[in-house]
Amino acid sequence: MGLREVLTPFTVWKHVFDDPVTIKQPIGRPAAERYRGFHQNDLDTCIGCGTCEAICQNGAIDMVAVAGYDPEKGNSGLKPQIDYGRCCWCALCVDVCMTGSLTMSNEYTWVDTDPDAFRFVPGLEEPWKDDEEGYEREGKRVLSGIERIHMEEMEPEARIGNFDEIVAGYSRAEAILEADRCVECGLCVATCPAHMSIPDYIAAVRDQDYDRGLQLLYETNPFSEVCGRVCTHKCEGSCAALHEGDPIAIRWLKRHIIDEVPFDRRIELIGQPAEPTGRKVAIIGAGPAGLTAAFDLARAGHGVVVYEALAHAGGMMRYGIPEYRLPYDALDRDIGVIEAMGVEIRTNCRVGRDVTMDELRRDHDAVVLTIGLHMGRSTRVPGTEGAGVEKAVDLLRRITDGEKVPLAEQIVVIGGGNVAMDIARSMARLQKAEFGKVGITLTALEDIDHFLADPEEVVESREEGVKIFDARGPQEVMRDAEGKVTGLRTWRVKSIFDAEGRFAPAYDQSDERVHAGSMVIEAIGQAADTSLLGAALTEALEWNRGRIKIDTAFRTSEPWLFAAGDAVKGPDVISAVADGHRVARTVMEKLAAREVAQ
Amino acid sequence: MRDIHALLKQRHRLGPLEPRKGGLAFVTVPRENLRGLLLELRDTHGFTHLVLLTAVDWMEDGLFQLTYMLNNRGRDLTLGIRVMIDREEAQGDTIHDMWPTAATYQRELKEMFGIDFPGSPRLDEEFILEGWTDLPPYRRDFDSLAYSQQTYAERPGRVTHDPREYMKSKLYPDGV
Ligand SMILES: Cc1cc2nc3c(=O)[nH]c(=O)nc-3n(C[C@H](O)[C@H](O)[C@H](O)COP(=O)(O)OP(=O)(O)OC[C@H]3O[C@@H](n4cnc5c(N)ncnc54)[C@H](O)[C@@H]3O)c2cc1C
Ligand code: SF4
Ligand code: SF4
Ligand code: SF4
Repeated sequence: MGLREVLTPFTVWKHVFDDPVTIKQPIGRPAAERYRGFHQNDLDTCIGCGTCEAICQNGAIDMVAVAGYDPEKGNSGLKPQIDYGRCCWCALCVDVCMTGSLTMSNEYTWVDTDPDAFRFVPGLEEPWKDDEEGYEREGKRVLSGIERIHMEEMEPEARIGNFDEIVAGYSRAEAILEADRCVECGLCVATCPAHMSIPDYIAAVRDQDYDRGLQLLYETNPFSEVCGRVCTHKCEGSCAALHEGDPIAIRWLKRHIIDEVPFDRRIELIGQPAEPTGRKVAIIGAGPAGLTAAFDLARAGHGVVVYEALAHAGGMMRYGIPEYRLPYDALDRDIGVIEAMGVEIRTNCRVGRDVTMDELRRDHDAVVLTIGLHMGRSTRVPGTEGAGVEKAVDLLRRITDGEKVPLAEQIVVIGGGNVAMDIARSMARLQKAEFGKVGITLTALEDIDHFLADPEEVVESREEGVKIFDARGPQEVMRDAEGKVTGLRTWRVKSIFDAEGRFAPAYDQSDERVHAGSMVIEAIGQAADTSLLGAALTEALEWNRGRIKIDTAFRTSEPWLFAAGDAVKGPDVISAVADGHRVARTVMEKLAAREVAQ
Repeated sequence: MRDIHALLKQRHRLGPLEPRKGGLAFVTVPRENLRGLLLELRDTHGFTHLVLLTAVDWMEDGLFQLTYMLNNRGRDLTLGIRVMIDREEAQGDTIHDMWPTAATYQRELKEMFGIDFPGSPRLDEEFILEGWTDLPPYRRDFDSLAYSQQTYAERPGRVTHDPREYMKSKLYPDGV
């Protein structure tokens, strides 16, 4: 060691009373306008998808709860917290951000004595939080594509004269591209009534592992052929991708998986049910609610008989939803898997007529009521009684049964929901086949911006020649001297609900129209036919505004009777599936409790 | 630019011209034709300035793409010349004799992509990475996240939440 090395430390001592060289504002010079400085986040726009966390190659981001931001549809409420001990300011998180909420200021100096301060949630209180300058991505995100992969559909001219399926389904190449757009955030899962493992099965498409995909589908839903085609797909309304582009085609990807796995392979993959338990459960109604419950109960080893009034199983999936949206063979495959689990479906057996509730109760450990809503409601305006006026669900059922239904060259449909669209489009097909042209007028209380039907149904109906008159309230079915229907008289709707939000349409009587037609179809809603219960049980049960009252576990007020699906809750197939699972769980809990008691 | 492309197309086996906005265009050439093309562009067609030399990893195709950007100041034209090379062999032809600055770009490409340029000066000296032992970090099979997790210590006390699980715990805790 030389003399210099020995003395140097002492020479340093002369600086001991100097001002420190670390200063509050080390440089004080603003950075370039687009400099990638400290992060900013618009917390009201951020949806807590965690995509920024997933992409960060430095593991700098955690998703944390922040007071005042709670989970809601399509938004986890979590916010990114960044550890500036790891960040390299690459801005990948900004480039990938699904909403564009995450940006960077051009601030680059920050002095603090507390090391934990540098782990912070951008958007809360940092001084540069509202700075204009800095880095933000130009335009929309490009790292995950913003446009949905196009789905091939039949052109209107090709589809109008027949009931062939309209939607083609994705090819493998198309499905992979669409699956690639999903960032696997899982925000959609909470919205799906059955909480399907959406990001996981989409990942299975991307990995081309259809066996895994199918197993994931069956964990939560035995009706993927059906839901992959006609699900109300509310999940897509909460998809992270919709903030800057099209939501992921979740429904079509589900259908793609099921399309790729042959029927026998499905049964192989699901595996055998558990050993028989000797317990017996009766289910009334072979719609999605009843059959899902049957599937779960049968897989657990319980004996299940489903009693179905009509000639075939499926409920409204078969007798309501038209074939051009859901072909019967697709539905049959879903039902076939359920039957392969040992579920017995006794068709043409109407409870209340062919077998009584008392008998079911006597012969089974539990009874589940899933009878749906099968009685069409009427507007009851003058003229609705008598020939020439039909109810949509009755006609749809008869079309499914292959019956020749009444038809006219000009038909007026009342109603603006999906059922109205289904009957209008079904009748349009029959008209085209019979008369060579379509003559359908559809009137609805709602104005077109508030239609209850899905927008694509409105578009496709119009493409097929259905004329839609919105904000029209039916007043009278007009009939000639001989009583033949000649049209529907309507008034313009001023408002549908009163100040208290009750249904009480108000009309502008000066704006009257007569929509010509020799047939009128009412499609304004359905009610449950509960006559099967009989007087004593009807009296004994608790009711809630015309529906059998159930608790959150789908128990009725009678300990042996459970109820689920449209008849008590609704409104769609996937909700019926979710309810089916839940009611099966409750029944199994009850059976297990009895086991212990004995 | 079309005139130059038409003139050189056959001699240097150029691919089709891909024009972009504002005097910018790209063209692909076989590796054997690269040096000849660059020399002619520089000495006969006024592309005297080497703007940059960079690479793209087309991992799935087993290729690296080298991109040479040349500029003709007089005519305000920029031409991007692409050469596809084998990713396994990962070797290009040095052009430091035409543009001395190319040596620096080539040194960077050696370090970041592992692309060799035999004969290029100081090629194996560290450029910005010090004591690097892992895969060259710009190769796409280099796992940046795993590397940073192994290499840099985590400050204690960090907690994160999976959005899906968090929403479940708050919105439907018993699964329905
Ligand atoms: C025209 C139409 C279109 C629709 N389109 C869609 C759509 O695109 N997407 C969507 O998700 N949902 C749609 N829905 C709604 C969906 O079909 C229902 O929500 C779903 O089928 C309800 O299932 P569920 O099991 O509760 O009842 P249902 O499917 O109605 O099944 C009930 C079953 O019980 C049987 N039953 C009734 N009484 C008795 C008795 N006494 N004895 C024996 N059996 C009996 C019935 O015959 C029926 O088979 C549509 C509904 C209709 C009417
Ligand atoms: S800037 Fe880069 S390193 Fe920093 S948090 Fe964002 S992604 Fe991670
Ligand atoms: S990617 Fe954007 S929207 Fe999603 S959590 Fe991060 S900052 Fe929020
Ligand atoms: S489908 Fe949308 S919401 Fe669901 S995981 Fe993928 S990107 Fe996220």
